[in-house]
Amino acid sequence: MKLLHLYHDIMNLYGDYANVSAMERILEKSGEEVAVDRLSLGDNAVLSDYDFIFIGSGTEKNQKTVLSDFVRYKDDLAEFIKSGKVLLMTGNSFEMLGKTITDGHGNVYEGLGLYDYTTVEFTGKRMTADIICEDRTGSLDKKLVGFINKSSAIYGIKTSLFKIRFGIGDNEGYHTEGIRDNNFFGTHITGPILMKNPHFLIYMASLILGREPSADHLTYEQKGYETTLRKLSERAQS
Amino acid sequence: MKRFLTILICKLLRFAGKLIGKGSSMPGQVALKICPDILQRVELPPYIIAITGSNGKTSTVEMIAHILTKSGKSVAWNREGSNQIEGVTTMVLSNATLSGKVKSDIMLIESDERYAKKTFKYINITHYVITNLYRDQLTRNGHPEFVFEAIAESIQPDTKLILNADDPLVSVFGHERDGVIWFGADELSTDTKELVSVYNDGAYCPICKAPMRYKTHHYNHIGIYECTQCGYHREDTDYTVTAVDMNKGEIEINGKYHISLALKSLYNIYNILAAFTVASLIGIDGEKIAAEMNDYVLKNGRVINFKLGDRKGTLLTSKHENSVSYDHSLRVACACEQGADVLIIVDAISRKYFTGDVSWLWDIDFEMLNNDNIGDIVLAGTYVNDLAARFSYTDIPQEKIHLFEDIDKAAQFLNNGRKEYIYIITCFSDKEKILSEVEVEEV
Repeated sequence: MKLLHLYHDIMNLYGDYANVSAMERILEKSGEEVAVDRLSLGDNAVLSDYDFIFIGSGTEKNQKTVLSDFVRYKDDLAEFIKSGKVLLMTGNSFEMLGKTITDGHGNVYEGLGLYDYTTVEFTGKRMTADIICEDRTGSLDKKLVGFINKSSAIYGIKTSLFKIRFGIGDNEGYHTEGIRDNNFFGTHITGPILMKNPHFLIYMASLILGREPSADHLTYEQKGYETTLRKLSERAQS
Repeated sequence: MKRFLTILICKLLRFAGKLIGKGSSMPGQVALKICPDILQRVELPPYIIAITGSNGKTSTVEMIAHILTKSGKSVAWNREGSNQIEGVTTMVLSNATLSGKVKSDIMLIESDERYAKKTFKYINITHYVITNLYRDQLTRNGHPEFVFEAIAESIQPDTKLILNADDPLVSVFGHERDGVIWFGADELSTDTKELVSVYNDGAYCPICKAPMRYKTHHYNHIGIYECTQCGYHREDTDYTVTAVDMNKGEIEINGKYHISLALKSLYNIYNILAAFTVASLIGIDGEKIAAEMNDYVLKNGRVINFKLGDRKGTLLTSKHENSVSYDHSLRVACACEQGADVLIIVDAISRKYFTGDVSWLWDIDFEMLNNDNIGDIVLAGTYVNDLAARFSYTDIPQEKIHLFEDIDKAAQFLNNGRKEYIYIITCFSDKEKILSEVEVEEV
């Protein structure tokens, strides 16, 4: 199996990289031979070579730098998603797949335009929250936990990934978050979402493998998830 | 009259607050309610020195205050680290006469990096030290570039900037600006050619976003760098650590001043260098500064020596949600040649706000502990499983790792007659939970 961590050195805030580590390990434990490529600006990635692609979150400036490089992958990425392969994008990286991103000064950047949503960044303000959410499609029977730290609002996502039970969604007052299309998962939850939610990792690995992965090694992750869910649930009720 | 009353009320509240052990931001908060522009209505000293940045503020301010006081200067400073506008207002008014004059020679302000602009609205800063910009408190700050914007807005046109030249994110504040004072370190014996860190916030030029090239890394993204495209580069320094001997625990500044280190750590060195720079600019002689910094032990409780049964140890207060702070502490433990056990506690992530986020654990270079000097590694607290998961992605032999959800049980485990030194690495929010289990050595 081949995994790609794209823009690994510039879209990698707060331990995002660990999503790739988690995926690498679960596939190995499931008996696969796994190779991970870490590519960045200016590299030529052949997307169709990969079984899993991950892009993490970056600063607002780094996202714009990456966007100017990323546009060349538009058709290949559309093909990748259409083919049913698994793509995970966390934080502000998935904003790039929409129509436009407007920065805090009113400059408008063209996105890849694979989807109709638009992003508007704030000036001098961030929206942050611990998150409890549910998978909107019902593929997962357990809640997910995470953290959002964003400086933007996203409008017009038609097929949301999550229903927010605690925390913030795509925008103030929204209870939906992220995007799911085929096996493309985009969420503003930052950091190692697959480490923190082992059931999400198992589900995503099963999509890659076409069978149930081995999950015996996830004891700490499982307990860690339960602790965070308990802490956040207590907070939500207080 | 309003000024008189505001100062009086602030002083009374401060006095009462001290009696009942209350913090130092409330009196200033009340003063600002009564008179929002009170800071503009008081007469301030000729030197107003502000210090901000992600790490090292409190320690640097304490060192500067120590040197200046020992040199016969009177210094007003926010020694309790209340570093937003309320705390600064308390400090200013507590040091003012009822007629509104701060009589000290120098005012020293530790300022929160996010809210500096608000704090300085009515104060003309003469000298502004910016220490570093790290990933810090995701739950509040977002990321270093976001904090950069907030600090940039707080810089006044006439202020003399005193900047860490070795931090490419900080140096941008002095880019194309005249009269900047730069401090930094030459290539040191402790440097590495390649980056030793889980991530690299210096990978790309902060000005043009082209790849950066490092001649040497002091630690993390701190080092001597240049942009491969736009010419942005590490500036030549006015105040410089010219040599370091970590075994002996000594540094040399500007090729001639030798300072012996109470804490053998690079972050301590940068704090000393920043303090040396400021004191020099005030006119204190280099020999005098070096003498005052020699073996200087911080009084702010960040480094605490203790005994646990027959074993000796040191608690290194590190900041949760701040991987560079942790990396520094891990380096100190790894340098312990007599051998050390390490206890890491993550129980409450913050003492100021709620969060359950542990993403920052993945940014810490725990792999460093895969070192012959390190014996047992004890992980403890509510988030012990997240720590264990993180450690399972290092090459550290798993039999060295011991897990305890209860902090007192971790302490009992370590009270086992082993001879190795103990380093405890945890945050303000969690340190009392372990200090109650050990015998603290008075400073």
